[in-house]
Formats: sequence, structure tokens, C-alpha cells
Amino acid sequence: MSENQPLQYRIQEEIAELAASVNQIVTKFKELQNPLEESREKVPKATEQLDKISEQTEAATHQMLDRVEKIVQQVEDSKKGLDEIKDCASDGRTGDISALADDLIEKANVTCNDAYTIMDALQFQDITAQQMNHAASLLEDIEFRLQNIMGALKDQPDDKADDENGRDRKARVYDPHADLFDKKTDQSAIDDLFARKG
Amino acid sequence: MALKIMVVDDSPTVVKFVSFSLKKSGYDVITACDGMDAIEKISNLSDEVSLVITDLNMPNLDGYGLIEVLRQNQQHADTPIIILSSEDGDDDRERGMEVGANSYLVKPFKASILITEVSKYLN
Repeated sequence: MSENQPLQYRIQEEIAELAASVNQIVTKFKELQNPLEESREKVPKATEQLDKISEQTEAATHQMLDRVEKIVQQVEDSKKGLDEIKDCASDGRTGDISALADDLIEKANVTCNDAYTIMDALQFQDITAQQMNHAASLLEDIEFRLQNIMGALKDQPDDKADDENGRDRKARVYDPHADLFDKKTDQSAIDDLFARKG
Repeated sequence: MALKIMVVDDSPTVVKFVSFSLKKSGYDVITACDGMDAIEKISNLSDEVSLVITDLNMPNLDGYGLIEVLRQNQQHADTPIIILSSEDGDDDRERGMEVGANSYLVKPFKASILITEVSKYLN
């Protein structure tokens, strides 16, 4: 019995060390759980933002192409109108020129308004830039957390995680809710709010 | 002499779009890329700025901070300020109003609506 005691102690010590190791592993895995869950939530958000960018860019581009098509047609019509004015002038039909010129002025106004509509639509760049910054920020967060997890699994602090893999993390300023089409509030309601203050 | 309007936004696209629309309507435009830049430029101007149009989300100093600084300055305590922002929540509008903005337009917006809003204060 006394000969077995040291062996028994050694077994007990081994088991105690093993239990401590298992505890450490469990603690480590619990620590890893939160960043993993956060990353799991951020991936669909980033995907959703990227899908939104694709849809809104396409819609804005179509809107602009429609207007460009209209502008080209108006320029073609205007060229025809100018040819008619030229014919009137050479035939001595000066009385018709005034009406034709009025028609051309009207066409020019419509073309100008269509150009403004294209300018309005070009704001999609600002909105999608904010959406892209949001998506990039979510992906950077995931990268950072994954690097931390890698460091924890190696049981040593990951130097790369501290400095974002040696890259400077870009300061991103954006509105996470920026949207080209989905406005939550009507402008008149906002005006009313500010009018009440005034 | 044309009235001077300051446009503050970190998006070059918005600055270009707004400046073009204002210039076409006969206003003189001065631009800044964030709140700090705006304060620096407005302090060094010899002539008066008649109206300020500002974004909210900007680096260095955001739109709220800019409005607070301007409102604390006697010279700009009553200068009309229009917020242009893609932030569409009640909190943002309330806060914009609290710090002293006069109007709030949500991006994207029509140039004609911006010009109408500006005209309310300057004509």
C-alpha cells in the first residue's frame, strides 16, 4: 500500500493538471464564443449592404440612362427644328420662324430639366459610398476578431491583430442607414417639426 | 454682389452637386470638407456668410459640433443653417433642431427643393 502511494499521488496530480487544462480550454472557448457570434451576425449585415449597393446602383444607372435617351431624342428633334428654320429662312417664310424657335426653346428647357434630373440621380454615389464604408467596416471588424481568435488558439497574443495585419485601419465616417429610396419620413413632416420650433 | 453660402460635406460628389445648383441660382459658394475646415475658413473670411449648408457625419468635427460652435459665435448666432443628411431618424432631426439648425433635408434630395429651402431664408 505504501509503495502505491507515490503512484496514486502522481495519478492524482496528473488528473488535477488535466482537469485544470480542460478548465482553461473551456474558459478559452467561452471567450471565443462572443467574437464568433458577433462575427456571425456581421457577415449577413455586410452581405445585405453589398446587395443593397448593387440594387441601388443599378436602379440609379437605369434612371440616368432613361434620361440620357430622352435628351438624345430631344437633341435630334432640335436638329430637325433647326433644319426647318434654315429652310424657312432660305424660302423667305420668315413668319414660320418664330413658332419654330419657340418650339426649340421649349425643347431646350425640357433637356435642361432632364440634365438636372440626372444630376439629382448622381447623388447615388454619396449614398452607396456610405453603404460601402459600412460594409467594409463590418468586414474589418470580423477580420480583427478572427485574428484575435487565431491568437488565442495559438495561446499567445497575435501581434498582427493589434495593428490590423500591419495595415492602418482607415477612419470611416458613414451613416449606416443611408438609403437611396427608402426614406422613413416625409420631408413635409420634417419641415413641420422645424417650423414648430421656429 | 452675390450672397455667399458655405457648403460643408466630406463627400466631394455632394459638394459639387450642391455648389453647382447654388451657383446656377446666382449664389456665391465657399466649400469645406468637415466642421473644422468650415470653422477655419469662416473665421478667415473677410465678408459675411449668409447661410450654411452642412452634412452631419463628417470626420474631425461633425455637423452638430459645427452648428454648436457657430451658434456660440455672436457673428453667426442667427445665420440660417440647413442640415443635409442621409440620417433619417427622429433622434437626428431632434438633435439637429436642438443644436440650432433651421432646416433639415434628407439625402438624396432634388436640387430644386434645396434652392427653394435656401430662398426661404435669403430672399
